[in-house]
Amino acid sequence: MAEAALSRALQATVAGDALLRIKGLQAWYGESHILHGVDFDIRPGEVMTLLGRNGAGKTSTLKSIMGLIPRRTGSISFQGRELISLAPERIARQGIAFCPEERGIFASLTVRENLTLPPAVAPGGLELDEIFELFPNLKERLSSNQGTKLSGGEQQMLAIARILRTGAKLLLLDEQAEGLAPVIIQQSARTIRSLKERGFTILLVEQNFRFASTVADRYYVMEHGRIIHGFANAELEANMGKLHEYLGV
Amino acid sequence: MFDFLGIPPQALFGQLLLGLINGSFYALLSLGLAVIFGMLNIINFTHGAQYMMGAFGAYFLLQYLGIGYWWALLIAPIVVAITGIVIERTMLRWLYKLDHLYGLLLTFGLALVIQGMFRHQYGTSGIPYPIPDALQGGHRLTFMFLPNYRAWVIVFSVAVCLATWILIERTRLGSYLRAATENPALVRSFGINVPRMITLTYGAGVGLAALAGVLAAPIYQVNPLMGADLIVVVFAVVVIGGMGSILGSIITGFALGVIEGLTKVFYPEASNTVIFVIMALVLLIKPSGLFGRAASQTSAVEHGGASAAGDGGRSALLFLGVLALFFIISPFFIYPLFLMKAMCFALFACAVNLLVGYSGLLSFGHAMFLGSSAYVSAHAAKVWGFSPELAILTGTGASVVLGIITGALTIRRQGIYFAMTTLAFAQMIYFFALQAPFTGGEDGIQGVPRGFLFGLFDLHNQVTMYCFVFAIVFGTLLMMYRIIHSPFGEILKAIRENEPRAISLGYRTERYKLMAFVLSATIAGLAGATKAIVFQLASLTDVHWSMSGEAVLMTLVGGLGTVFGPVIGAFIIIAMQNYLAQFGQWVTVIQGFIFIVCVLAFRRGIMGEIANKIGKPL
Ligand SMILES: Nc1ncnc2c1ncn2[C@@H]1O[C@H](COP(=O)(O)OP(=O)(O)OP(=O)(O)O)[C@@H](O)[C@H]1O
Ligand SMILES: [Mg+2]
Repeated sequence: MAEAALSRALQATVAGDALLRIKGLQAWYGESHILHGVDFDIRPGEVMTLLGRNGAGKTSTLKSIMGLIPRRTGSISFQGRELISLAPERIARQGIAFCPEERGIFASLTVRENLTLPPAVAPGGLELDEIFELFPNLKERLSSNQGTKLSGGEQQMLAIARILRTGAKLLLLDEQAEGLAPVIIQQSARTIRSLKERGFTILLVEQNFRFASTVADRYYVMEHGRIIHGFANAELEANMGKLHEYLGV
Repeated sequence: MFDFLGIPPQALFGQLLLGLINGSFYALLSLGLAVIFGMLNIINFTHGAQYMMGAFGAYFLLQYLGIGYWWALLIAPIVVAITGIVIERTMLRWLYKLDHLYGLLLTFGLALVIQGMFRHQYGTSGIPYPIPDALQGGHRLTFMFLPNYRAWVIVFSVAVCLATWILIERTRLGSYLRAATENPALVRSFGINVPRMITLTYGAGVGLAALAGVLAAPIYQVNPLMGADLIVVVFAVVVIGGMGSILGSIITGFALGVIEGLTKVFYPEASNTVIFVIMALVLLIKPSGLFGRAASQTSAVEHGGASAAGDGGRSALLFLGVLALFFIISPFFIYPLFLMKAMCFALFACAVNLLVGYSGLLSFGHAMFLGSSAYVSAHAAKVWGFSPELAILTGTGASVVLGIITGALTIRRQGIYFAMTTLAFAQMIYFFALQAPFTGGEDGIQGVPRGFLFGLFDLHNQVTMYCFVFAIVFGTLLMMYRIIHSPFGEILKAIRENEPRAISLGYRTERYKLMAFVLSATIAGLAGATKAIVFQLASLTDVHWSMSGEAVLMTLVGGLGTVFGPVIGAFIIIAMQNYLAQFGQWVTVIQGFIFIVCVLAFRRGIMGEIANKIGKPL
């Protein structure tokens, strides 16, 4: 009895700490059941990395948080507010932003339009100057006519840059390093670290473990639509064996 | 003054002005269609009806509230836009995840309902609407007299088109719209309420149509059918311009209006058809349209058959036997002329269905085969004195030729584009039938002799006639069944299921699709020719687009893609028309209503539902 009460009290404090807390999240694409009860939480200001093999359900988890998978159950609470039944646009307005794996740069919009497309959802977003400090390349390409004419790396910068303006506190970033040259990946890592310094909370989905280890505070490992393991960056060495087994790297 | 190629300048500029006026309406309407298509992926067939509603809105405001033109220009579009918003919220919303064709079918049904109701109330004669005082009169220019109102229509339309273009291409709201057209889910994840934007976009597109309607009221009078034929021309404009482009639809609209006007001067006979001819040329040279990007071609019509294209095994053959038995017994109880009509339409609907079931192409223009074949066989029987079987063969032959020509052009497009191009070609044939010397214009060809079959059997005898029709229809249905189960049918099915794969296996899929198209045209032609002999009449009804719509409706009710479902569909629709004939326009309204219900709640159709229940393809 007393023990149960204690553990509940503990949970409550943890819940108080968490910026985002996910419990028993299940999701379906049509008839196919993809997420089978995902549980994890993210504390304010940390960089959390979701690892897992192809098809484990990482992207689906991000999309569920964002409300982009209509059929989902369980609990997703953000700053104490339940999101599970909200539409994507409402979720975004709580202060969450999503950068998809495929970047999602719009071909029918100019680079500037792409950059300024997402409306502000909360005060405290970065100004354009600050964004250009982070991504000097973008400034040069601003006059470019078609967003999709940018290089892969530039598109990736643009995709992150545009969600920094909105004032969102929690960034969901899917596979940022994918398909980029090593130099650009290093630059990405620097960007993420500096975003963390500015107080953003980041949920990073990564296949590239080396990249992840340069930025992450904590890790969760997914398999078959569940979280099967979690540890802090400090425990990385001790977990290397397990990780190799889980990720098959 | 100088004559230009023997044309007095007054005539030239007069027609040029008229062309610009028409062009204004084409541009406004195709712009609305493009805006709606961009966001909703729906070809809004109701557009013509909504244009008409705009004109009626102006009329009502003046008649009942004493509100004049200028306020009407603002109020009528807003009111019509609100009705559009209700339509989007209650109906269109459910179709976004389905094939685009369902949107076309639903809005087609809506158009029937709306136009039917207005016709019921206001007949077909136009109601005049006065030109506002401020725009009375005109100016005498060097070459011509320019009525102020007409100048105003052109200037105002250009301004509205440009404003819309700027709004979409140059503003922040426009960037939301463009982005949402590309990737609505991502735009929502930025906190933008895309569903609401979609609703408002439909409202705005419909509002543009209504605005055009108000502008048109003083020029063309207010008439329940004012948008019905116009929309088909606008579809052709859209096909010519290509879907994805806003500026493209504006430019194409004005340009085609002018071209049409000039044709009136130099070659008046072709003025009704010139746009369709241009469409044919554009399809040949640049299938995606002058300004169109290569459109993503999707086609996944939900099939009635339990699996994909139901090839209808034994059970379908059994069903055909039951149907045959029914048509053998029923003349003892039911009026034979009605049954013969039902059989002809059953064949017609099966032709449409064959095409959609085995190539995924839903034709909205099959009336051109039914009608032209009816005309040719009626002419052959009456004027040339052909025996009935020869007359029918001649008529069917004509539709084979027409099928080859139109098929070669239209099968280059899929999905809604295919539907629109077939519709437009059918309209071209309609205008041709209206003007050609041998078709008898509005009267059609009447008093066609039924004659003696093979010179022996007198078809004026109802029993003989019935047997003949029965033999033709069921013989053809049986042949259709055979073809479906032949190697040719198997290849068609393979193409239907996975075209790229069929191509990689070395099949020239275009050729097979063309063959399916021609086969379908042939069967539709046979139905039309037979019908002309039975009813001793070929008329404009047979070539009108509403006839194509009926065939689609029969197919839909019976079960899209089921082999013989359309026979049931045809029977039901013809029976309904027969028994509800006394209610006049309500028939159209009810048909439209059935369309809507089928698309929203009953997409498998009757046979499809049954097939689904018993788990066997039919
Ligand atoms: N739109 C969809 N419809 C149906 N199934 C889907 C859809 N998207 C993903 N899936 C399936 O859901 C499962 C999880 O996919 P998800 O994209 O979440 O994996 P992931 O962990 O992000 O993989 P990757 O590392 O390859 O990006 C996979 O089996 C995938 O096939
Ligand atoms: Mg992924």
